[in-house]
Amino acid sequence: MKILRLRDRLTNESQQNNAAVRNTNGSVIHAENIKKIYGDIAAVDGISFSVEPGETYGLLGPNGAGKTTTMRMLSGLSPVNSGSISVAGVDVVKDNRGVREVMGVVTQHDGLDNGLTVFQNLFLHGFLAGLSRKESKNRSHEVLEFFGLRDRSKSNVYELSGGMKRRLAIARSMMTNPSVIVMDEPSTGLDPQSRNRVWEELAVLKDSGVTVLLSTHYMEEATILCDRLSIMDHGVILDEGTPDQMIERHAPKEVAQLRVTPTSLRTVRDYLNERDITFREVGALVSVTGANGERPDLSGLEDTDGVRTSYRAGNLEDVFLAITGRELRDE
Amino acid sequence: MNFAIPNPGIRRRSVTGLWLRHAVSFVRYWKIVLTWVLIEPVIILVAVGFGVGKLVEEVEGAPSYAEFVTPGLIMGNAMFHALFETSWNAYNRIDNDVYETALTTPITITEITMGDILWAVTRSVMTVVGTAIVAFLFGWLNHWEAVGILIPAVMVGITFGALGFLFSAVAPHTTFLTLVFTLVASPMFFFSGSFFPISILPDWVEPVAWVMPLTSAVHIARGFALGSLDITHLWAGLYMVALTAVLWPAAIVLLRRRLIK
Repeated sequence: MKILRLRDRLTNESQQNNAAVRNTNGSVIHAENIKKIYGDIAAVDGISFSVEPGETYGLLGPNGAGKTTTMRMLSGLSPVNSGSISVAGVDVVKDNRGVREVMGVVTQHDGLDNGLTVFQNLFLHGFLAGLSRKESKNRSHEVLEFFGLRDRSKSNVYELSGGMKRRLAIARSMMTNPSVIVMDEPSTGLDPQSRNRVWEELAVLKDSGVTVLLSTHYMEEATILCDRLSIMDHGVILDEGTPDQMIERHAPKEVAQLRVTPTSLRTVRDYLNERDITFREVGALVSVTGANGERPDLSGLEDTDGVRTSYRAGNLEDVFLAITGRELRDE
Repeated sequence: MNFAIPNPGIRRRSVTGLWLRHAVSFVRYWKIVLTWVLIEPVIILVAVGFGVGKLVEEVEGAPSYAEFVTPGLIMGNAMFHALFETSWNAYNRIDNDVYETALTTPITITEITMGDILWAVTRSVMTVVGTAIVAFLFGWLNHWEAVGILIPAVMVGITFGALGFLFSAVAPHTTFLTLVFTLVASPMFFFSGSFFPISILPDWVEPVAWVMPLTSAVHIARGFALGSLDITHLWAGLYMVALTAVLWPAAIVLLRRRLIK
């Protein structure tokens, strides 16, 4: 019950904040043709997008797509070479300090301070961000409770599990009760259980009206968390929409998945090549898409030893493949 | 590149917030840190004051070798603290994303250097006060002017705090940071007039010794310790200020290059 009340409290505060902090066009984050060039390489090559109040927006793309650079530019940590960014009414290009007063940031590697306890990490971050000592202390206790870390308050940071560290990093970004947060790959490197826990908490934050921009290369994460997303590759946005729209636009309706043994793989390849059926191999899994995205005809393989066939609906991974010609998971 | 120009004005909370972080982290490990702040300098003081002091019958401008060497050792030790804070410790903070996280709050690179250098000054002053009290009890600090050693203690904190950043901001790995000791700390510790008057060095070495900022700090501290201040101590102070006016901005530029990509 106590937690529920805390959630209500977070909810109300955030909604109040939300009302006050929009850009002139009504969005919370607005990026217009932003570019970042390192030497000869454009890490981000003129992208534009808007995030509406209360929305969770995803930048989906492989490593090196320019997601982190984009987020660093949005949060005032990295200068743009050209273009404009507004966050909650702050012109980020002109006032990179101001944006960090209104925005919470979860950096990619947690960035926790190993010289301090869990509580001290939060308290000192809040103090540095401008809270009074009393405010920061109270707020630390609140977010510890909210993120289920209260009994770890006095632990050293290095004693925490990976999932707890990530939740602490997210908790830290909530210290100033921001109405907008950017998160760089919130669940990368976590085991499935910890990942679910993080997603649950992000869902509550979203529910409380916080606007979230996150980057990810997990299509599952993007599907579960994002209201809208854009697909990024080589520093540009290739397409944007809701996960459903993107799947409808680019992914096949159905994909056949053949689990193969090394000996049956050759038979499968020959069969598919003979019939000009598109397929791709990921490890011992062959994904097959029929013409026009319909179910492919694999009747000839039904009796082949060492082949197990199943069908699944098209997903964001297929979208990514369709748009870029590459796998999303190319770590 | 708008970011090349730091935001005008200094946000005080950035400096106090960072200082508090260092203080909290320091207090957590105070038992270990105390050995460095107090026990090590006292060991050196005793060894050199009582040990070497027995062998040296007279030294220019001081009643005894122990009284001569005390301000030198105190300053040399203060230098180690300030340098270590902004080289090794700051490097670890770069490496462990402590600054990266701090930068998600409204803090600038300039303020980061200010918070850290303020902490370097704090450490310098702590060790100077601790060691000076012990030296006073041994009877090696006899003049009331010795209280003024706090002035070079602060200056050492600032100058060497800024200097340390020149290493941490460009260091590719911790091995690189050993250069702080081989290139800066050790030569200065031994050739800055801490252990012997630099006037006894070969003529060509003497000017080199005066270029080292610790030489000025030791000179000033000795002026206070022996109650023999004159105009040369003012020049030494101005030299340290001038040097800091170059080192600190350089530290900011290098650290910005490292942290703001």
